[in-house]
Amino acid sequence: MTVAALAASAGAGEFGHLDEQSKREIRCALLTAVAVPGYQVPFASREMPVARGWGSGGLQVTLAVIGPQDTVKVIDQGDDAGVNAANLRRLIVGCTNVPDTTDAREASIIQTRHRIPEEPLRADQTLVLQVPVPEPLRGVERDMRELRRMHAESDYSRIWVSLYEDLVRNGVITQSTGYPVLVGGRYVMATSPIPRWDVPKLHQAPFLSLFGAGREKRVYAVPPHTSVEPLAFEDVAFQVERTEGASCLLCGAAEAYLVEVPDRKGWICSDTDWCERRRTPGDDAGETGRAGAELAGAGGSARDAADG
Amino acid sequence: MGYAAARGGLEAILAAEELMRAKRDGGSSPPLEVGQVTERLNLAVDRVMGEAGLWAPDLAARALRQAEGDVIEAAHLLRAYRSTRPRLATGLVTDPGELEVLRRIVPAYRVPPGPQLLGRTLDYVGRLLDDGTPGREPQGLPASGPEANGAGVNGAAADGAGDGQGEARHPARLLELLRAQGMIRDRRRDDDPEPYDVTRDPVRPGAPRSARLSVMARAETGALVNLWYRNILGPDGYIHEITLGEVRHGRLPVRVTHPVTGQPVRVGSVRVTEVEAIEDLDGPDEDRGLFDVGYGMCLGHNERKAIAMANLDIAVERDGGRSPLEQNVLMTTDGLDASGFLEHLKLPHYVTFRSMADRKAAVRAAARAARQEAEAAR
Repeated sequence: MTVAALAASAGAGEFGHLDEQSKREIRCALLTAVAVPGYQVPFASREMPVARGWGSGGLQVTLAVIGPQDTVKVIDQGDDAGVNAANLRRLIVGCTNVPDTTDAREASIIQTRHRIPEEPLRADQTLVLQVPVPEPLRGVERDMRELRRMHAESDYSRIWVSLYEDLVRNGVITQSTGYPVLVGGRYVMATSPIPRWDVPKLHQAPFLSLFGAGREKRVYAVPPHTSVEPLAFEDVAFQVERTEGASCLLCGAAEAYLVEVPDRKGWICSDTDWCERRRTPGDDAGETGRAGAELAGAGGSARDAADG
Repeated sequence: MGYAAARGGLEAILAAEELMRAKRDGGSSPPLEVGQVTERLNLAVDRVMGEAGLWAPDLAARALRQAEGDVIEAAHLLRAYRSTRPRLATGLVTDPGELEVLRRIVPAYRVPPGPQLLGRTLDYVGRLLDDGTPGREPQGLPASGPEANGAGVNGAAADGAGDGQGEARHPARLLELLRAQGMIRDRRRDDDPEPYDVTRDPVRPGAPRSARLSVMARAETGALVNLWYRNILGPDGYIHEITLGEVRHGRLPVRVTHPVTGQPVRVGSVRVTEVEAIEDLDGPDEDRGLFDVGYGMCLGHNERKAIAMANLDIAVERDGGRSPLEQNVLMTTDGLDASGFLEHLKLPHYVTFRSMADRKAAVRAAARAARQEAEAAR
């Protein structure tokens, strides 16, 4: 027997970059995560070709669940053309040869950082979220042993107290993104950091959401049709981001997650695919404009910025 | 298939890659050969292997060259490469007594059991910059295998050094002497638990000692040094200075079970740095009549890392989970984790920032409403 023969028997990096042992291990962790919604499942977390904190967890999850029949979409901040999305897409497609798309309706796997597409996702689609900080209670407790105890015993009193104190001090709950939610009535979970705007999309969703935190070596999941309730008080409703009178300069949407464009004293959709399709005749109402394409573009090239 | 649908981002990163490549592989000097890196920059190569947790000098040299000398980047390349390789075998347990020393010093004793072997070290070389002055520039030397010839001190010359045999290359340990004298708190165990594999099981506080040692062996050198030093001069103070019992650099054989014969077979050797740190037990609940020992070992020649590691090992042991020290050691010393997360701040964050701005506006609106209410009530 040769080393090469041994290596071949272990399926070294033929499809999806990771060797088969590694993928199996991640799948095992994901199955546990699906079985215990909202619970952070430890997994080994390999070092990936992207740095820790740059989507290494999401990438491992995607590569563990992807097959040749899949179509993948990758977004960062809702944008398919963002540099990190482009890089991750390049890696995923490069090692699997699966087709990629920007159309959220065509994708069977959508890997995302910080957003859930505006397009309602279906049961045959899987959302993979990149997670920098998987621990929702870290703001109130730093000690990892104590954190385990708190989750194990559903002792969530301190995060409730912190929300109450926030409200009393500031008049509103100031938690912005990654809003804590109670999943399946059992585990408090960090919503990666998606904006509050996207949190209700997880509640009783028809699709599967997988969360991968590579640096902290945790995966967790929200299976389809699971209750996901933002922590809020009976008399103080959970609020999503909303700016009075704001609508997208490109497609006119007001009911979308908008990001500010100070130069134009206005707002545009963060979900570029959805926004674009709203402007495409025969798709959704609206029209495509040159100015729009320019605004939605990814900005200056690296060549302009480099020192040469 | 294609990337055409996504605008902008891909062209920009391809252009950035091209700029990196052009500057690294261009220029007027000849291309850097792998052999030059392994020979001339061997400490950097050792550090990359240590922090990557993979013994592969040529690959580490390639990584260092590709990373333009950035050690953490090179360690990342090596670890990411390792992720694609299946695990074909597990090394058999090797007794550190088999370490064939290239250097060995015992600061705790003038004349310890076995030789003081200064070996190859910069410790006592004047830090005079090679500024181009004749005589300070590197000169071609006849290949003499200088690494193999440890310079003896205390009269203990490295006799019989070349063949790697004999007492001089496998010296007795100070620890054995101290144990024989009953001076050491005995924490040896009778069972033989499987070592904790930090590359297959994520660690968290409460992990066994083997996990702690593995984490530190792969940790970033600077992180361990800093964690040690903030206990010396910073606000923490969980540990105090130890006395070094052993500082060793040498070769350790690697054996696996042969897949066909089932017999142990030596597949190579790795160079490691090994440190035993003698700790003065002085806590109120500790036996003041005894010393204890911290242990450090890492791939390659990296003494500051192994010393910090040994000191932190015994410090975590003595701390017993009372302070955040163990969590700091286990969770915050990995170079790839820390650097990756720090640098991710360069990624776009406009979705989250917009959400924060929304909350700032909400707080101000709430304050305004409260003020108006108060004024109306007046």
